[in-house]
Amino acid sequence: MTATASSSTVPVEEWVRSFTDASDNDPEIQAHGKYFTCGYLLDMENHHFVVRMTSGRVAEVAVDPGPLDVGYQFAIRASAETWRGFATEIPAPMYHGIWAATFRRDMKLEGDVLVLMQNLRCITRQIELLRTVRVPV
Amino acid sequence: MPRISPVTGRYVTVDVDDIQYKVFYLENGSGQPLVCQHTAGCHNHQWRGLLEDEEVTRDHRVIAYDLPRHGKSDPPENKEWWKEEYRLTADHYTKFIVALCDELELDQPIFMGSSFGGNVALQLALRYPDRFRAVIPVEGADYSPGFYLDWWQHPHANAAQVCASGVWDLMAPQSPEADRWKTWFYYTQGSEAFKGDLYFYSVDHDLRDKLDQIDGERCPVVMLTGTYDYLTTPDDGRRTADHIKNAHFIEMEDIGHFPMSENHEVFRRYLLQALERIGSRSATAQA
Repeated sequence: MTATASSSTVPVEEWVRSFTDASDNDPEIQAHGKYFTCGYLLDMENHHFVVRMTSGRVAEVAVDPGPLDVGYQFAIRASAETWRGFATEIPAPMYHGIWAATFRRDMKLEGDVLVLMQNLRCITRQIELLRTVRVPV
Repeated sequence: MPRISPVTGRYVTVDVDDIQYKVFYLENGSGQPLVCQHTAGCHNHQWRGLLEDEEVTRDHRVIAYDLPRHGKSDPPENKEWWKEEYRLTADHYTKFIVALCDELELDQPIFMGSSFGGNVALQLALRYPDRFRAVIPVEGADYSPGFYLDWWQHPHANAAQVCASGVWDLMAPQSPEADRWKTWFYYTQGSEAFKGDLYFYSVDHDLRDKLDQIDGERCPVVMLTGTYDYLTTPDDGRRTADHIKNAHFIEMEDIGHFPMSENHEVFRRYLLQALERIGSRSATAQA
């Protein structure tokens, strides 16, 4: 771990709870997530999470799993600084989405990107939820 | 009283490179023709705010067409287009725009386009400087690589949603949600043309060594770029304008790559500055 979390950082357990609640109660994801079933890694530098979605519901968020603990299909990786940029009500330019941050910041989309594309509508919305639930890094 | 918009739609037949197109366009207003090109993979509803903007239409005849294969403009009428891959080139694209303006008998129109329309505006200033009173490249640049992707048409994904959600981040979070979702919705309708359009945008369009051949005195160039555009950033627009003789660059705050569609109210403020610079606004309109 290279960066130190600021004092205002959301505790990890609390973040997992609020992210799950926000996603499971989000009208858009619930209206369009019937086939939103996949697993993906959110690498936030200081912490990483594997989010497992089943039919639009958060089935599990694994916190800092070991190297071979939990499988996933694709990964969204960025520095803690970039993720903090996502975690504001109105993100600054280039922190306002995974495409923007991938083209212009240090974000990387890795693994089976086809699965990301198949679920792009719901993933896009889910990442935008970070504007209200913030990030734990 | 029926609530009928003053905007009207018509079709015009246009011949380019032995290909015949039946082109749909919307128009409103009178005076200086202002020809508007939508973004790649989209259609002319992106200009819905401008088409009903009383301040602009008072002295401009706003014409927003659907490029062939987009919106209500069909693919070629006289060609088995389904037997080949669609890849738009700068040559064909510019010839089409000039042929459309000829067919509509427009005298010295101003051409404005966004994204791949902004890039073709630069191409028009280079290739046909005497045919246009001015060009307004919106979200354009000398070169814009990286978006000619197979994902837009991948048969294993929902292409409509990939195109629409793939361009979602090109819009600013400050833009009204309803307008962003309208733009998203338009993008679900154009996936079969999007990738071929982007062949022009990211591959065939490259003016990096030709900007000094564009003469902004002969054909004024006023470039507009939004701060949330991750494809052609304000730095890209500024760099491009800096290399064109007498070009002018305007940075647009808190707006993205589809300014006329995602937030016309913000966009119009910058557009009026551009039109003022070109000198096409009448004295009464500016008062």
